[in-house]
Amino acid sequence: MESTRDSPVPPTPALTARPVVGPPPRRRLRQILEAYALLTPSLVGFVLFLVAPIIGVVVISFFDWNLMGSPRFVGLANYREMMGDSEVWRSVRNTLYYVALNIPAQTVLALLLALAMNRRLRGGKVIRVLFVLPWMAMPVALGIIWNWAFDPEHGAVNQFLSLLGISGPEWLSSTTWAMPVLASINVWQYTGYTMLFLLAGLQAIPESLYEAADIDGVTGFQRFFRITLPLLRPSMLFVLVTNVIGSFQMFDTVYVMTQGGPNGSTDTLNFHIYQQAFQLFRTGYASAIAMLLFALILLVTAAQFLYFRKRTVYDFS
Amino acid sequence: MRTHRTITTAFGRTGLYVVLIAGALLSIGPYLMTLNAAFKRPQDLLSTNAWTPAHPATFGNFADVWNQYGMSSFLAHTLFVTVVVTLGQVVFSAMGAYAFARLEFPGRDLLFWGYIATMMVPQMITLVPLFLMMRQLGLVDTFAGLILPTVFGTPYGIFLVRQHFRTIPKDLEAAARIDGAGTWTILVKIMLPLSKPILATLATITFINTWNNLIWPLIITNSDRTKVITVGISALQGQHVSDLPHIVLAGAALALLPLIAVFLMFQRHIVRSIALTGLK
Repeated sequence: MESTRDSPVPPTPALTARPVVGPPPRRRLRQILEAYALLTPSLVGFVLFLVAPIIGVVVISFFDWNLMGSPRFVGLANYREMMGDSEVWRSVRNTLYYVALNIPAQTVLALLLALAMNRRLRGGKVIRVLFVLPWMAMPVALGIIWNWAFDPEHGAVNQFLSLLGISGPEWLSSTTWAMPVLASINVWQYTGYTMLFLLAGLQAIPESLYEAADIDGVTGFQRFFRITLPLLRPSMLFVLVTNVIGSFQMFDTVYVMTQGGPNGSTDTLNFHIYQQAFQLFRTGYASAIAMLLFALILLVTAAQFLYFRKRTVYDFS
Repeated sequence: MRTHRTITTAFGRTGLYVVLIAGALLSIGPYLMTLNAAFKRPQDLLSTNAWTPAHPATFGNFADVWNQYGMSSFLAHTLFVTVVVTLGQVVFSAMGAYAFARLEFPGRDLLFWGYIATMMVPQMITLVPLFLMMRQLGLVDTFAGLILPTVFGTPYGIFLVRQHFRTIPKDLEAAARIDGAGTWTILVKIMLPLSKPILATLATITFINTWNNLIWPLIITNSDRTKVITVGISALQGQHVSDLPHIVLAGAALALLPLIAVFLMFQRHIVRSIALTGLK
């Protein structure tokens, strides 16, 4: 993965002109001090605002605390309550449903787009930028725009459908359609961004492999499934892991578009935690649900790594 | 045979362009429609199709949302917070990344893996303790409270810059060391000038993330004194979406425009660097 340049094994004299003995002790000490001086601001942020809160959330999950009075230790009571809370499990199902709708669509579309972009079309660079533009849009502002676009009466979507003679559903007030709408918004936002990574992966595949395949008379489909897809696995793994982690944390779109409704059909884990913690002020309980979210993310990420490790092909360098 | 093949490729190519251009239009369609709607007169907004051009066009919606609905102060707050966080992250990430990439100190690898491991932790997990910490420090509803959690950099930023620093040949530094240059001089005079694209990328990504951030400002601020644009327009949406949709849409357009400007300015660097981070 990383180059071996920094390995603790002393380099052989043939490779470097540096003496094998390393820097003198005084310079070494100085380097250590300098390193920590450079790291200090970043370490302050890391320890205070990341590590301490992570430890904090574990501790708080064992307490009952409404933010006002003093916290009361309750042991595993929050976790026990969570196990029997049908709203929590509904939000788990909603989150998984969202991921299942969004990730495959987004990944397949991004792959097709990357394959097209890899043909180095004229004007490709402009098209590429246009496809990446949705990535940076503010989800809150977008939520407003999509709310308007999916409005049953005045929205662009149903106005367009009515041109085709279809009368569209009441998208966001329908328990069937609200979640697919949220998922397609995410697909819209991140397909171009995902394409960038896959395109870089495609461009790293050595041309010589395809030339060899041509000589052997390999057809287009076989080229794709025997060469392109296997060699794209490292990029695929990266894209899937980061997008899945991101999707599990969906919040903004729900907050501004549905507030978890209608009838709890878009109440995702992240939104549920927010409501418990900052609207109902049940910090201990919210912290326990946050641990559940973290456990789910770890599980799904580990599964992806295992799946890809079994099947990954080896680098050519 | 040969002509036959050329004709199929020509068809294929045209078809491909049609699909790609349709996709590109879909990508920017919501932006264009928002902008178009923000220029429509209130009475036209609901009586015309979304894609009908704003005619006659009016600046009135922008003027109203700017003056009467506090958009100017939301934007000023957001700009302040975003610029401070972005500067902090770029400077501190570059410093930390150099230590990780080039200096030898005890605990380096352990610490680096600690940074990497936290990249998987969902942000929501840290929010309750962070809020309690800020409350203890008396920083609720202050700019310090908005800025502090992210101004020192993120593991992602350190990782991004470190990966780039490691690709710069070590000989350059060795030569400078022989000439008597110290660590700071090497970082500022050699490493940073060779890292402009990656620093521009980190700056743009941080700018976008901070500008767009909803959940932390929602938790830590509660008055107009510190309200940022994400909180401002989601409140606007909550109150006025049914009676003043033109105002809400103009607010959304104003929130999006600065990002588009920043992105287009740096898009060349970003498109390249984003792709590189995925390969490592």
